[in-house]
Amino acid sequence: MRRDWADIFGGFALASIGVAATGWAWVHYDLGSLRQMGPGAFPVALGLMLTAFGLIVAVPGLRRAGAAMSFEPWAALAVLAAILVFGLGLRPLGLVLASFAGVLVASLPAPHRGWAWRLCLAAIVTVLTLLVFRAGLNMSLPLWPRGL
Amino acid sequence: MGTWEGLLTGLSFALQPGVLIYCLLGVLLGTFVGVLPGIGAMAAISLLLPITYYISAEAALIMLAGVYYGAQYGGAVASILMRLPGTPQSAVTALDGYPMAREGRAGPALFAAMVSSFAGSIIGIVVLVMLAGWLSRIAVAFGAADYAAMMVLGLVAASTIGSAKPAKGFAMIVLGMLLGCIGTDVNSGAMRYTFGQTELLDGVNLVALAMGLFGVAEVIGNVRDPERQAVARRIGFRQLAPTRDDLKRMAFPTLRGSGLGSFFGALPGTGSTLSSFLSYAMERRIARRPDRFGQGAIEGVAGPEAANNSASITAFVPTLTLGIPGDPIMALMLGALVIHGVQPGPMMLDARPEMFWGLVASFGIGNLLLLILNLPLIGIWVALLRIPFRWLYPAILIFICLGVYSVRGLTYDIVSVAVIGLAGYLLALARFSPALLLLGFVLGPLIETNVRRALLISRGDPMVFIERPISAAFVVAIACLLVLSAVQVVQRRRKGVPVD
Repeated sequence: MRRDWADIFGGFALASIGVAATGWAWVHYDLGSLRQMGPGAFPVALGLMLTAFGLIVAVPGLRRAGAAMSFEPWAALAVLAAILVFGLGLRPLGLVLASFAGVLVASLPAPHRGWAWRLCLAAIVTVLTLLVFRAGLNMSLPLWPRGL
Repeated sequence: MGTWEGLLTGLSFALQPGVLIYCLLGVLLGTFVGVLPGIGAMAAISLLLPITYYISAEAALIMLAGVYYGAQYGGAVASILMRLPGTPQSAVTALDGYPMAREGRAGPALFAAMVSSFAGSIIGIVVLVMLAGWLSRIAVAFGAADYAAMMVLGLVAASTIGSAKPAKGFAMIVLGMLLGCIGTDVNSGAMRYTFGQTELLDGVNLVALAMGLFGVAEVIGNVRDPERQAVARRIGFRQLAPTRDDLKRMAFPTLRGSGLGSFFGALPGTGSTLSSFLSYAMERRIARRPDRFGQGAIEGVAGPEAANNSASITAFVPTLTLGIPGDPIMALMLGALVIHGVQPGPMMLDARPEMFWGLVASFGIGNLLLLILNLPLIGIWVALLRIPFRWLYPAILIFICLGVYSVRGLTYDIVSVAVIGLAGYLLALARFSPALLLLGFVLGPLIETNVRRALLISRGDPMVFIERPISAAFVVAIACLLVLSAVQVVQRRRKGVPVD
């Protein structure tokens, strides 16, 4: 039987976030009274609402077919890896190597073969980054690995 | 300050070279991202947010606004030539613009889009000036309960109107509001959901959130898209010329679209996408030959384009006079102002005349720039359509990382962009709207503050929301919207129409 997986996953995920948020706020924050609401009042109310809406979305999805989702795990993985390579590499490696590596990783899932264009793109983007953020906006960033 | 005096102040401010350059930069960049498939105005504005730290609040607002309405000009180009709307607002333009382009009439279609966009913007400016003065005089009487009720109305309207599954919209809004709770509670000083991370004390970083949701998520979603071809490969200035018949057909749809757009743009929660859909529906209904629509009717290009541009201008009314953003893009604008320590509200027209009137003047200047630049530059924009996305997105990613890093100099923020981007991509896959999440994120803390204040004043009596006439009117409107959308959902289920 076909089901509306988008609504089922999305709805239940949101509902569980709602339950967690409500529970955490209920235990840790003061609810206060209507007259003098504490810091916990809004989070608890919002968490309950999120749980409710999540279930409203998810439950009907169990009995109905939905459009397929086109999940692209490689695209997601490469893009996230590129951000992490750049972000975590920025301070130890310096701007030049971090951007070069970041662009190379990011370009992996692109629907076009070959390495020449990827290297070329990495060089162009690195130069652009230097021009915009170092020369243009004058950000203080290390350019090369420490100790060089 | 009178209208004429205000306009003069604004013009002399916006025409200073140091301000004009940001207006020009904004509209060019806006057109650029509007033309390019895969990145929209939201992504571009979030990318520019950190850069606005380096310039004055007025110039920042003028530049970001330029990106917003510039993207609509650019979006129309992509819609007409590739049936690939660069922005959601221009999706309607493709319905008749693309058939026109396939008939070899891409030139007149582009001409109609640009000229009616310009006319729509000018009418929008007039309405903005009239409404803003009037509204800021009334808004002085608004109390905390009225503000809270109006913001909730905006959120309810944004998630119900034109949506097949309002529950998904509500869920996104509530999730956004929950994210808005993270950080130090302003009233009590308690730390909420920070889990001991000092980076979260000031809350989730708006720049990181916007860049993750709109930049990173959109990049992931578009990386593997096959490359598309434009119908018309080369279009020069000469081919734009419309026939006399085209001009006659354009005139009234443009006027009607502008009126419609100006009205809906100013309402909280509706905005420019809805206005362009409504304008298209209206033109088709009153046309003598509705069968021409969808086959390349120039009315179907002119009306919606006028509507979405005038709506994008009047959308600034609630943002600037009440400090309440009506749609997600306005929420980003408000965020940019708050970053600069400016809290818009009814006093702003008098307290910071350069900001309001400078922005108004920049709308006129920016749209004029778009019109005179885009007609001769059309060839360049069409050529840009042929840049494959794979040449662009790695650069976008690096710029996102550096942009968010530049705000606080924290690697933490870059990592959180990756996490938010993944979440945004998954949400978009499951067809939840990240734009509504952002709207909830910005409005949530404002709603909380105002609700708590209202209840403190009323000594805990929740009737305060119905006893005050202004807030009562908003509450009635909220109830109507909820009932209406519930009825629609039930009707759709009965008919067995597939939702989505």
